[in-house]
Amino acid sequence: MDYIVANDLTVTFRPANRNPLTALAGFGLRVARGEFVSLVGPSGCGKSTFLNVVLGLLRADAGEIRIDGRAIAGPSPDRAMVFQEFGLLPWRTVLGNVELGLELKGVAPAARQRRAAELIDLVGLRGFERHYPHELSGGMKQRVGLARALATDPNVLLMDEPFASLDAQTRDLMQAELLQIWDQSKKTVLFVTHSIEEAAYLSDRVVVVSARPGRHKAEIPVRLPRPRDYEMRLSPEFNDLKLAIWTALKEELTATRT
Amino acid sequence: MLNALGRRRRMVLGCGSVVVFVGAWEIAFSTVVRWDPFFITKPSLIAAAFREQILGGKLWKDMAVSGEAFLAGFALAVVVGIPVGAVMGWRRRAEYALDPLLTALYASPLIALAPLLIITMGVGIVAKAVLVFLLAVFPFIFNTFAGVRCTDPLLINVVRAFGGRERDLYLKVILPGVVPYIVAGARLAIGRGLIGILVGEFYAASEGLGFAISRFGDTYRLPEMFTGILVLAVVAVGLTGAVRKLEAMVAPWRAGQQER
Amino acid sequence: MARARAGARDWERYGLGVGCLVLPLAVWEIVPRLVTLPRGAKLFFAMPSQIVVALYRLVESGEFQGHFAVSAAEFLLGLGLSIVVGLPLGLLLGRFKTLDDLLDPYVTSFNATPRIVWLPLLILWFGIGIWSKVVIVFIGAVFPLLINTYEGVRNADRVLVNVVRSFGGREWQVMKVVVLPNALPYIVAGLRLAIGRAILGVVVGEFFGASRGLGYMIASAASGYRADVMFAGVLVFMALSLGLTLSVKALETRLTRWRPQATKTF
Repeated sequence: MDYIVANDLTVTFRPANRNPLTALAGFGLRVARGEFVSLVGPSGCGKSTFLNVVLGLLRADAGEIRIDGRAIAGPSPDRAMVFQEFGLLPWRTVLGNVELGLELKGVAPAARQRRAAELIDLVGLRGFERHYPHELSGGMKQRVGLARALATDPNVLLMDEPFASLDAQTRDLMQAELLQIWDQSKKTVLFVTHSIEEAAYLSDRVVVVSARPGRHKAEIPVRLPRPRDYEMRLSPEFNDLKLAIWTALKEELTATRT
Repeated sequence: MLNALGRRRRMVLGCGSVVVFVGAWEIAFSTVVRWDPFFITKPSLIAAAFREQILGGKLWKDMAVSGEAFLAGFALAVVVGIPVGAVMGWRRRAEYALDPLLTALYASPLIALAPLLIITMGVGIVAKAVLVFLLAVFPFIFNTFAGVRCTDPLLINVVRAFGGRERDLYLKVILPGVVPYIVAGARLAIGRGLIGILVGEFYAASEGLGFAISRFGDTYRLPEMFTGILVLAVVAVGLTGAVRKLEAMVAPWRAGQQER
Repeated sequence: MARARAGARDWERYGLGVGCLVLPLAVWEIVPRLVTLPRGAKLFFAMPSQIVVALYRLVESGEFQGHFAVSAAEFLLGLGLSIVVGLPLGLLLGRFKTLDDLLDPYVTSFNATPRIVWLPLLILWFGIGIWSKVVIVFIGAVFPLLINTYEGVRNADRVLVNVVRSFGGREWQVMKVVVLPNALPYIVAGLRLAIGRAILGVVVGEFFGASRGLGYMIASAASGYRADVMFAGVLVFMALSLGLTLSVKALETRLTRWRPQATKTF
């Protein structure tokens, strides 16, 4: 149960000429290896901040965070992020983008291109290796982002509202694909979303984060069988689940409405 | 009928209007209109002068002289302008210090210093190159600055997230992002540099395309003068067009944004 | 790894900027006092105090006003003409594709060619009175105005045009409600560029074929080795150019407050 452990995390931002902003205060979380955990909460509650701390781009002001017993000292190939706005380098082809992590790790060109091609195939973009991001649709771009994150074979996959910029149909499609890929690889996933439905559908456990400053407010385990299919979303158990999440979330949403 | 031409329509109409204009000019001036040869000329005479100049050779020498000075000044502008712009873009303090001074200089007609430069440095290639440099350096500085500033912070985070270090940030994010801006700056710099060369040569020179044009004007040799103007126009349009093509090649992902 | 950090203070920004402006002035003031310079360099290093004195004397004697009036007239006439011609033409070209296709080669080639090249011809045609300068100013200023107006018109959102049409609006209403407001920021940006070009036209025009005007004053001061008068003239042009450009920039910012993305013009 203790693959990722966050204890009493506090992160405060101090922008110039403005009051300091505490994004997380005393946030705690324990994640088991291979678990799929979603984080939901009102806007600005610090979910993305938490992901950035786990990724290693941000350092907490207080508290501790460990992965597999070791403290986090910066970005590393065993953690990879999929970004909401895709973050693809516009001057690189699909292949060039997917191999970015491998390139920075120092893998030789032939080897990394081979691996990148594998992943491009995995996410269903075979034939698009030489295309540029501006020639792709939103769903395709996010698949590139996913392929890029998987390329270094990280143990932890961090996903920051990855499907928020996609239309409803593409979103459903991507969710199904993500589950398929995750089923095969069994990575530990931290998934941030605003959609209760998406959180319930994808995860083993849904964590509700309080309004800013973010705290671990509640947890709802998802006991639906895997593999999940679309029809499960229409079942009464699913609705109960959503209600439970909503109940915990509702308070936090009204709290931020001041 | 026009619509049937589709994409070629623009080219056909454009060429057509030029042909019609030149044709009308020639016909009118050869038949109906009475014209003063010290005041205006007609296309056939211009064509003859053009042919003579090209074959005669003085034209090429003049172009070489102007071209040399232009390239020297332009190269200096590239070598100075891009690093200055990059430093300004990357280090806030450099921006704070240099921006007001450079904006003031950019907005001023630096060409007003031309007489000064020519008088202090004489009539040779150095003065002309310095003039070209003064005019051409600013687009490079400001465009490089803008390009560095416009680096997408998301992409910086992405490269950091995947383990990139300072050097990787420069090579993989900042540099590729800046290139389209630099090329756009080059396009502006060409225009401004050409002005510098012409002014330098009009003012005091004994050789060069600009000098040739003004000398032909002084001696009322209109067809030759128009030839010179035409040559310059062709060079200018050619250079600018080439840079535009380069821009499109270098930044296919910005194909949507065009600016003349 | 990054921490959320504080930015630089405002006074640092102003301090560095002002410092960098003042530094050259200080150098120019001090160096000629300390070192005797060769004749050529002496021209280059006119002391700011001398320049101010020269300017004062020129204004006092009325000479400055005379030159200034001539240059101003050339500038205003040329710019005015370019607005009167450039704006409507830009609108028409933007609106009627056929016209645009027909005139495109002329616009592109005239725009790419440095306007200065026409100067000898214009002096031939108009002599050294103010009209050759007015035409050069016109040629220089009309293109940014025309092209920017054109871009602004073409840039009008199709969706909005359809909205107006769906409410029964006619051509001129579409123009008034959608096209012109959308084009306005572009036009003002074009005006800013046009002003810069216009000033350039005045300066260069007066260098080469004039008997009056600030540019003429600068050129003759230079050949007479009067560095102070020369720089006085240059400074006046700089100040004017800066003042006008900044005012138009301020106008631009006010007019573009509703836009999510700035028009990039340099």
